[in-house]
Amino acid sequence: MNVPIYAVENLVIDLYTPTVSVRAVDGASFHVLAGETVAIVGESGSGKTVMTLGPLGLMPEGVAVDLHGTAKADGRDILRLSPPELSALRGGFFGVIFQDPMSALNPMLKIGPQLARQAQLYAGLSAEAARREAVSLLARSGIPDPEDRYDRYPHELSGGMLQRAMIALALAARPRVLIADEPTTALDATVQAQILALIRQIQKEDGIAVVLITHDIGAVSVLADRVIVLYAGQIAEEGTAIDVLTAPLHPYTRGLLASVPDFRSNTASGNREIPGIPPNQAQLMPGCRFADRCDLVQVSCHIHRPRLQTVGLQTVASGEVPHRVACPVVLAAEGIATYD
Amino acid sequence: MKNWPWLILTPALIFVLIGVFAPLLMTHNPSTQDYSAVLAPSSWSNWLGTDYLGRDMYSRIIGGARTSLVAMVFVLVAALVIGVVIGSFAGYVGGRTELVLISVIDIALALPSLIIALALIGVFSGEAWSWMSDYWKMILALTLAWWANYARMSRAVVMAELQQPYIEAARVMGASHMWIFTRHILPHVLGLVVVYASADAGALVLAIATLSFLGLGVAPPTPEWGQMLVDGMSYIEEYPSLVIIPGLALTAVVISFNLLGEAFALQKVPRAVRGGLLRRKKAARAVEEAARAQTEAKV
Amino acid sequence: MQRMFMRRTGLALLLMLAASALTFALVSAAPGNVAALIAERAAGAGADGEMIAKIANDLGLNDPLPVRYLRWLGDAMTGDFGISLRTGKPMAEEFAERIPKTLALLAGGGVLALLLSLVMGLAGAVSNGGLVDKLLHALALIGASTPNFFVAAMLVIVFSVMLGWVPTFGVSGFSSWLLPWITIALFPGSVLARVVRVNLQEAMSRPFATTGFAKGLTRRAVLLREALPNILIPYMTTFGAQFTLMMIGAIVVERVFGLNGIGAFFIEAIRFRDFIGMQAVLMLFVVFFVSVNLLVDIAAMLADPRLRRPRRA
Repeated sequence: MNVPIYAVENLVIDLYTPTVSVRAVDGASFHVLAGETVAIVGESGSGKTVMTLGPLGLMPEGVAVDLHGTAKADGRDILRLSPPELSALRGGFFGVIFQDPMSALNPMLKIGPQLARQAQLYAGLSAEAARREAVSLLARSGIPDPEDRYDRYPHELSGGMLQRAMIALALAARPRVLIADEPTTALDATVQAQILALIRQIQKEDGIAVVLITHDIGAVSVLADRVIVLYAGQIAEEGTAIDVLTAPLHPYTRGLLASVPDFRSNTASGNREIPGIPPNQAQLMPGCRFADRCDLVQVSCHIHRPRLQTVGLQTVASGEVPHRVACPVVLAAEGIATYD
Repeated sequence: MKNWPWLILTPALIFVLIGVFAPLLMTHNPSTQDYSAVLAPSSWSNWLGTDYLGRDMYSRIIGGARTSLVAMVFVLVAALVIGVVIGSFAGYVGGRTELVLISVIDIALALPSLIIALALIGVFSGEAWSWMSDYWKMILALTLAWWANYARMSRAVVMAELQQPYIEAARVMGASHMWIFTRHILPHVLGLVVVYASADAGALVLAIATLSFLGLGVAPPTPEWGQMLVDGMSYIEEYPSLVIIPGLALTAVVISFNLLGEAFALQKVPRAVRGGLLRRKKAARAVEEAARAQTEAKV
Repeated sequence: MQRMFMRRTGLALLLMLAASALTFALVSAAPGNVAALIAERAAGAGADGEMIAKIANDLGLNDPLPVRYLRWLGDAMTGDFGISLRTGKPMAEEFAERIPKTLALLAGGGVLALLLSLVMGLAGAVSNGGLVDKLLHALALIGASTPNFFVAAMLVIVFSVMLGWVPTFGVSGFSSWLLPWITIALFPGSVLARVVRVNLQEAMSRPFATTGFAKGLTRRAVLLREALPNILIPYMTTFGAQFTLMMIGAIVVERVFGLNGIGAFFIEAIRFRDFIGMQAVLMLFVVFFVSVNLLVDIAAMLADPRLRRPRRA
């Protein structure tokens, strides 16, 4: 029986700036097992980054954050940890890769020593051993001539190389969970595929858990074992990648997949966008948040908030994975009772 | 508290008002000496006491405000006009004229303004200049020391604005240079320059006080805070108020102008006053840095 | 990189020449001044026009300006800066006596300003909007607004008159340098404290700060290890500018505390129409200011890894 390595339950996250307050995440739960990749999918502003990085305390400065719920990692609830304890966990347990490596890496610091320092602090290596480890990590991440690259500054590397360096940096502390926040968005198409392949390879070799935050369905199909679809801070649908990508249930998921351009299709209809825009999360109405844009909308959709219910089960190596959706209309069509 | 952005203007405004209405605010003639009441503490007749010549401190402070204000306005306006004209001309005309003017500006900026002012006062001590009073020597010296910064700023803005497409369009439509300059470019220049000047005013008041403190600015009996301070230094051990009062007045005025400058920089001043100045200021700075980076890259 | 150095240095030298020529032109334009003053010295009030004319001729003061400038420049290169009209001593001697004092003042002030600004700026950044941050912001504003002669006076009132810890005026051992150093360091220290604080804030909002947190660093560690290196360049640039402004502070401080450095000499030269002294000191100033600016420019270029190691294809 696989115990989740990182499990978040009933997460509610409120963000406060001097001008506005937003409930960015509204009652979401997810978990990830060792060796599996979970993709969190949604558009910008859906809350996928907040949901994943928020519990780790990685929100930008200047935004006040209010967290409710539980987030268990390494047996402890990280939401209840003190800042120094959380810092230590961030380094050693979680590794994070960010979207734009050129801005995510400090322009005034050499790349290698940062890796070495992580290895020294969290893997307990000596200074000499840490340096060698750093070089080998760079090599493993597919960076040619790692000895030379060790002493380089970020501006001396290309975007793809930098992302590999960032992956190496995240791995230097030997984390159990790797969080990748839009790791390929800022890269060229050919490089994107290489980076995704690298992540998959590392996961296979090290058996770490991967949380992939993305809006790129292509990346999802390549890497993910399970998929969680997030809309306006709530989970709309979740299940195995196969379930969600081939048999999407939620109208939003269906719209999302349909809007992905497919160069192979000959249809003259072109891409189909989901009409409308995401709701303003500072002023929310009751009921389903997708109601205004949904093609299956009914009157009750504007009144009752939909709950996630299981529609089917998939059996995979790690156990059983339910296919869940939060849409009473769809559930009704499947013959499943929704409200008590 | 919705009006608090305007509050930032208030201290500086108070200074200006005191300076303008000084004669109405004074209780005594600031130059009248009264040997019977020398170094007196504050009382109902002399609110802040008297100095070592029996002159009323309160009236001298008020008078000092006017002296500083008048001198500051003279210098600032003159330096601004000279600087904007030269700088804009350089930026607009380009070519060899620009090169010559830039060299002059750079030389004028090689030394800190106050040092240039001091040197000029030194020059003005020569025979050829003996017809000028000390006061006007100071004004002239400060003006010549102050214009260069505004010239550089104006040139940067002009260069940035010349890149704008509507300039090209105006020229194609046959507008004259004067027209283009006055209508399209000058407002941007003035916008930036006025913002900077409002914060610079504080530095200028400080410079005037420093010169007077060194005995090279305003001469007695005209009341001036820096000069009052240097006079008071001899009595510092027993009558520190002679030093503290003008010192506090100076600090208060400079703080108020610095607050103004900071408020502009942080965009806290209401739009009506600021307009699009900040955006242009940033644009001008960005262009200047880009130009500098380009020249560096060429090397 | 090297080419940029050469170019900057070359421009700096040109600037020095041009500025010194300009100051020479202004100060020495009226030859009659110098001759008259020398005559006064030699013969008191009895100096007449004939004597002045003779002195002017002997000293070559009637030659055209460029010639006189080049002659003066040539002399200066060999260390002959003329003889002060006020003290009668060779300027070289005055320099030897006075420059070390001013340098000591500037050095101590610079170090103090550096320490003050770093402590204040970092403390504010650690507090990040808290009471300490707001307090330090107010203090920096006051420090940057208070005239240095007032600061000097206040320090004297508190520490010499009231507490008697430190001698009032004159130079007598280490403790007598403390008040002058504090006075001269307050303004630049306050300005730089704001530079540190504002730039740290900006750096902490950049993505690499979040990466720093993701590495497992505490906020303090992120401030020191990730943010601080990024303020180096703006700090150096402002420090250079403030250091040159400190010379003005030195002039005032020397006068208030009775230190006979080069600043005090300059003021006396102006008051007593010592044109030769003025010219020599101005030349010194020009060299000083242009050199400091040059050094700061070069240092800023070296400190930026993007300029130090340009991107290879």
